[in-house]
Amino acid sequence: MNKKYAGAAAFGLAAALVLTGCGSGSGGEGGGGDAAAGGQVTLKMVAADYGDGPTAANSGDKFWKSVVDEFQAANPNIKVDVQVINWNDIDKQVATMVQNGQAPDILQTGDYSGFVQDGLLYKVNEVLSPATQSDLLEKFADFGKVDGTGYGIPFVSSARALFYNKDLFTKAGIAEPPKTWDELKADAEKLKASGVSQPFGLPLGAEEAQAESFLWFMGNGGGYKDASGNWAIDSPQNVETFNFLKGLVDAGLTTPNPGTKDRKVVWEDFGAGKVGMVNGGPMSIPIFEKGGLKNFGVVPIPGKTGPLSTTLGVQDWIMAFNKNGHAAEIKKFFDFFYSGDAAQRISDTYKLLPVTKSGIEKLSSDQNLKPFLDALPNATFYPFTDPKWSEVNTQIKQTIGGAVTGDPAQVLGAIQKTAAG
Amino acid sequence: MQHESPLTRVGRALVPLAWVGPAVALIGVVVVWPVVVMIQSSFLEISRFGVVRGSNGVDNYAKLFAEPDFGGVMVRSLVWVVAVVALTVLISLALAQLFNQRFPLRNVARWALIAPWAASVLMTAIIFKWMLDPEVGFVNMVLHDLGLLDAMGGAGADPLGNASTAFPWLIFVAVFVSVPFTTYALLAGLSTIPADVYEAARMDGASRARIYWSITLPMLRPALTVAMLINVMNVFNNFPIIWAMTHGQPGYSTATSTIFMFILKGSDIGESAAMSVVNFGMVVVLVIVFLKVSRWKSEVA
Repeated sequence: MNKKYAGAAAFGLAAALVLTGCGSGSGGEGGGGDAAAGGQVTLKMVAADYGDGPTAANSGDKFWKSVVDEFQAANPNIKVDVQVINWNDIDKQVATMVQNGQAPDILQTGDYSGFVQDGLLYKVNEVLSPATQSDLLEKFADFGKVDGTGYGIPFVSSARALFYNKDLFTKAGIAEPPKTWDELKADAEKLKASGVSQPFGLPLGAEEAQAESFLWFMGNGGGYKDASGNWAIDSPQNVETFNFLKGLVDAGLTTPNPGTKDRKVVWEDFGAGKVGMVNGGPMSIPIFEKGGLKNFGVVPIPGKTGPLSTTLGVQDWIMAFNKNGHAAEIKKFFDFFYSGDAAQRISDTYKLLPVTKSGIEKLSSDQNLKPFLDALPNATFYPFTDPKWSEVNTQIKQTIGGAVTGDPAQVLGAIQKTAAG
Repeated sequence: MQHESPLTRVGRALVPLAWVGPAVALIGVVVVWPVVVMIQSSFLEISRFGVVRGSNGVDNYAKLFAEPDFGGVMVRSLVWVVAVVALTVLISLALAQLFNQRFPLRNVARWALIAPWAASVLMTAIIFKWMLDPEVGFVNMVLHDLGLLDAMGGAGADPLGNASTAFPWLIFVAVFVSVPFTTYALLAGLSTIPADVYEAARMDGASRARIYWSITLPMLRPALTVAMLINVMNVFNNFPIIWAMTHGQPGYSTATSTIFMFILKGSDIGESAAMSVVNFGMVVVLVIVFLKVSRWKSEVA
């Protein structure tokens, strides 16, 4: 009897331990770097993967390991644990970490603004030396500020331009790449007549519909917001833009059912020689070359009456969380990153553009990147500091493709309602 | 035993805990705890970045029910479950009957059926997506070669780009991955039916259809009930097939409630949790209704 009693008690205790263990695991304080014996500090870092996944030669894991190894050799007291997460999951996984009180010390991803409001981030001047700060491109650094105080540090950037397949253009008898919408449509018709199945690659699917749409809006003087900073997604210019696109789609001059196609697939089709023209960036060049396409040209994106004088600039961010109080160590790591050759290696490996003046100088001789480097200083950005942007962005990605099959005014109007309502 | 002390009695009452304890602990941690957190979250205001900003009352639910696509998503989820489970069971009944016969290489055929079950569902979905690719998809190439498709790369070669053709394909893939398990469950059921019952029926001169209807189906009911129940829950919560093949697009026109929940997570975690709770409730209701219906049947029979 006694033995059984003891057994039961042991099981009950074990069960209780399991339960409480789980409770503290999900609700407890963020672990990260306890300054253990010997003054050793561990920085927990989460970064997005710019490569082709964990097994690829250019995986983010390998890139960061090489950076961290160098850094740790120079700073034996600081250990950096890097967790690389792919772009599709990083936002949701980081949100889970934050929700469970396990935010990292350093985060490198596509947005910083959401953390500022809740006071989770160090200010830029707490974690970055003045020399590094002054090397950052002003226009980019300015976008890292909320109410005049910097929180987000520009990490890498990219810009967009129009890529066209020179062989297909020659075959269709087109001498010059298009500069206006009318020329673009005429060229697309010629490409179609010469047997090209997708004259214009139009990815309006979930992956990056917000970029493709924005590039087209710009061509007609539109955008997500008007000059005074109010949401203007269903402005007459934008509706006209999508009416034009709808015309292209109806005539079979684009990717079929654009609202379901991701940019990666369309870029691969361009690389395979199935697409005549497509909007892309430096990061799409490796995809094109992997598909076997070498003979392509890069020009500014056509607008309604002439080429765009601006382009979509996208920049990614790195930021430091203040929860574990490791400002001094984080500062060392950031300065190491920006002053060494790590930042340039990112540009080389992933064809992303630098965000520092010294970085742009180093790349200025690369002819393939020149159109993009020229466009950077005049780039236009998403309105991502607006608190409504994440919700608007989600809805754009899912639904804006419907504007080329249904009624553009109605589809854009529904998104505008989310933004302004 | 009259002089048993109260302590001993308590002790004896606790003994069963030693046996059920681990299971209860496991269920508590793996099932009950997440449900509690899910329900809690659905009443909180949580930023997209995971910061809890305090209670939000029933606003998350109000916002969810006001979503213009909510109604369509729920109706589609029901159509999805009913269509996939009904087709799966019908096909599996036939296949189980076939595989219960003796024929050469029966074991090979039985093993082959396991393949779609053994492969990852996500992998299967991605392979079907590739096969339906407008430029290089295998299915489209075959249709093109047969002259059923005018040209590659156009809208005609893009069944996944349009809800009216995409949804049947999604249902097809879901049935494809559900059939093996269901067939095996029914096959196990068939093998429990004693041969002498059939012999007796044949002696009485019953037709084949009559034997199937009056003997096989009623005796198969326990296996059939379990197989259908598991399918209903699996299919309702199925995420990878739709996510990998269409992302719920165009618009939300191929999204079911789990897809909708995941998309909402990108903009509003609280609203997404509310969708999870609705989803959870829906599964519970479906299961209760199903059990009610199947028991009612057994009383009539």
